[in-house]
Amino acid sequence: MQNENNVNEMTAGGGVLVGPDLAVPSAEGRTAENVRGAFPWIPLARLGCFFGLLIGAMFVVNAMISTGLRRIKTSAFGAENLIMEGKVNADVVIAGSSRALAHYDPRTLASVTGKTAFNVGRNGAQTDMQIAFLNAYLEHNRMPGVVIFNLDAFSFVTSTHVFDSVEYMPYIQDPVLYNALKVINPNIWKSRYMPLYGYVVEDMNMTWIQGLKGFLGIYPKEDFYLGFNPRSKKWTNEFENLKESQPEGVSFEIEPAGIQDIQDLIQECQRSGIQLIFVYSPEYREMQSLTTNREEIFAKFREISARYDVPFWDYSDWRYAGNTEYFQNSQHLNAEGAAVFSDDVARRLKQFLQAPNSANVSSRGGEDGSRVATH
Amino acid sequence: MLFNSIQFAIFFPVVVAIYYLLSQRWRVHWLLAASCVFYMAFIPAYILILLVTILIDYFAGIYLERIQDPRSRKRLLWLSILSTCTVLFIFKYFDFFIGSFVGTAGLFGWRLPHPVLSIILPIGLSFHTFQSLSYVVEVYRGKQKSEHNFIVYATYVMFFPQLVAGPIERPQNLLHQFWEWHAFHYPNVTDGLRRMAWGFFKKLVVADRLALYVNDVYGAPRNFNGLQLTLATFFFAYQIYCDFSGYSDIAIGAAQVMGFKLMENFNTPYYSRSISEFWGRWHISLSTWFKDYLYIPLGGNRVSEQRHIFNLMVTFCVSGLWHGANWTYVLWGFLNGAYLVAGTLTKKWRNRMWSAVGVKQDSIFRQTIMLTTTFVLTCIAWILFRAKNASDALYVVTHLTTGWNFHQIATPQFFLRQLPVALAAILVLEIGQLWDRVTSVPASVVKLPTMARWALYACFVMTVVMFGVYKQMQFIYFQF
Repeated sequence: MQNENNVNEMTAGGGVLVGPDLAVPSAEGRTAENVRGAFPWIPLARLGCFFGLLIGAMFVVNAMISTGLRRIKTSAFGAENLIMEGKVNADVVIAGSSRALAHYDPRTLASVTGKTAFNVGRNGAQTDMQIAFLNAYLEHNRMPGVVIFNLDAFSFVTSTHVFDSVEYMPYIQDPVLYNALKVINPNIWKSRYMPLYGYVVEDMNMTWIQGLKGFLGIYPKEDFYLGFNPRSKKWTNEFENLKESQPEGVSFEIEPAGIQDIQDLIQECQRSGIQLIFVYSPEYREMQSLTTNREEIFAKFREISARYDVPFWDYSDWRYAGNTEYFQNSQHLNAEGAAVFSDDVARRLKQFLQAPNSANVSSRGGEDGSRVATH
Repeated sequence: MLFNSIQFAIFFPVVVAIYYLLSQRWRVHWLLAASCVFYMAFIPAYILILLVTILIDYFAGIYLERIQDPRSRKRLLWLSILSTCTVLFIFKYFDFFIGSFVGTAGLFGWRLPHPVLSIILPIGLSFHTFQSLSYVVEVYRGKQKSEHNFIVYATYVMFFPQLVAGPIERPQNLLHQFWEWHAFHYPNVTDGLRRMAWGFFKKLVVADRLALYVNDVYGAPRNFNGLQLTLATFFFAYQIYCDFSGYSDIAIGAAQVMGFKLMENFNTPYYSRSISEFWGRWHISLSTWFKDYLYIPLGGNRVSEQRHIFNLMVTFCVSGLWHGANWTYVLWGFLNGAYLVAGTLTKKWRNRMWSAVGVKQDSIFRQTIMLTTTFVLTCIAWILFRAKNASDALYVVTHLTTGWNFHQIATPQFFLRQLPVALAAILVLEIGQLWDRVTSVPASVVKLPTMARWALYACFVMTVVMFGVYKQMQFIYFQF
């Protein structure tokens, strides 16, 4: 047999073999010596010891990454750390998706209204995740007077997965955040209990390097200002690509669960005495006509706004909505656009805070091109 | 079940632990049960297809040994081969052949109905079909005794480490191992684990990271510039090598942990200095399968030159078709066959040319030129293998050198910061392979003191864990 040498080698290793010609797959094939006392406890203990140490090392590295990310004082993690450590305590909080994140400069809001402001917008987050993060903010910080909740065409679409879940990993033990994440992704427990899972399996961007750097006191470049993350890019061709790939336009589902999320937010704010304001921040005009069920979505926004008496400021007709100089793509203003829009919305907010009722019943279309729900 | 999954991380230690606790009587049963669980983790019902293949060849083997009449034996052999291949044809090639037939008929103006089965290809079907076929042929040739124990035979076909992507074993190498007593042998187990770790490095750190780039570029090649197309083609050469040889390393290592020895499947193929050498080092179990069961029965090279060329082309076209039911695979096989034919026909002329310019056979310059040429030719062939269709392949080939833009290297899924990681991974792979050629890496590592060795292992495993990509990407060869 060609494998005879291997067979002999294995015999020499301490085990008792039955050669291929003699072997039968039965108990008779084993000698009494082999059955009794032959189980290799010591080698197994060595292997167990090695893998135990390895798993221990993974827990240590996981803790170092989480600690490092929680230490960061700049950029996205810096903003998140301020929120989760309860160091924000702003009067005005802006919540929403990446559109909120890139459109509202809290510094402008603060200078115009005289109120402190902070932006808790989340990249790639649907309404459910936006609200979950807002709840985490409310849990750890003083109640704000006003929450500006930025709406999107996809506001009634619920999450199918947690976008950039690594951003939440340093705080995965936080019950408010964890319970919200669990609803969206039932498998999130793996990130909570399995070492490094949330950092290496769920994240493709090697954010763990940032964590280890943070542990050593090396922080990323600052690009967040009170939670606001301006986009410096000029108009890209993303919209042209979209038009080409979706010539019939796009539509966004109005899911009952999405409606419920927004109603829950309203009720939570009303219970806590927070003035909630819905704002539909500027969207590139040509994109508006490409959204086939936009009227239906806006009718639902208006209906909810009227039912719960929540102001709804619609900036669809913003004066620069058709000007690509102010946009990065159809959904996001660039830094220049955000500066203009932040000023517009800050002035409206100031007016609203001074005379809430008059601002709320004003006719459609302010000088900045915004619309106010006429309820 | 994927090797790179949490399920396997639990499954494998449990299977191994129980395997070593069992008496010989139950070990094969246990391996068969474990293999069934492993296979059923993909699509449970497809185990019935495997069962059909196993039953056909199990009985064929027994009767081939019993029947004495040569003509009846031959008829039985062909009946068995055709039955096994019919299963393969229905699941893998039916839609392809019908589609091609209807398409060709359309060229002549005949409008034929186009029935489509649209069945999901059972994972690893081509692998276990070939392993099963090799058993029948070897029994027919009298080189292997038929296996009367159904459990042992079924385990030979279904042995989970190599069930879905090989190596395609021969009965002479594997079958008898199921009858042997494999004692727990610590060095053997640790050797196997080391081999598995190296396989996971190739798969998770190299192949799956490069896949992010390759998938983006080859998904829509017209959206990318020449530099990106070239880089993606280069990356694909490493991706497919690390994906498949990584799988083989894990399979060989997993089997070794349980005391089994599987055949080697790769031998640093990109260090080949000719296409012919490449095919002796790439997917060795398949290359030798085709050599033994197709090329040599066709006459091999002991025939006229024309017939030899014919034999080579047929073998490589069938090999291409084995890889996938698509004309791009057939073209890939054809191109490799053409490389070999061209190599054979020009060999004397090339030698004369080298002599004329005074370059010796073993000079580093000549070896480097040969190695580079072989690698480039292989990469060009991989374009056909990876492209979605012939049109995309043609586009890639014709745009490799156009519009290079060094400011535009990243793709939507592969950010620029991943490039150093990808290149470093390739570098580590090459250093590891070169080191292993100079001296056996495992043998060198074993000589280190325990603490240093453990630290080294731990660092390596942590590197794989931290730099791996875990998007649950299947091994490329599963689809074959």
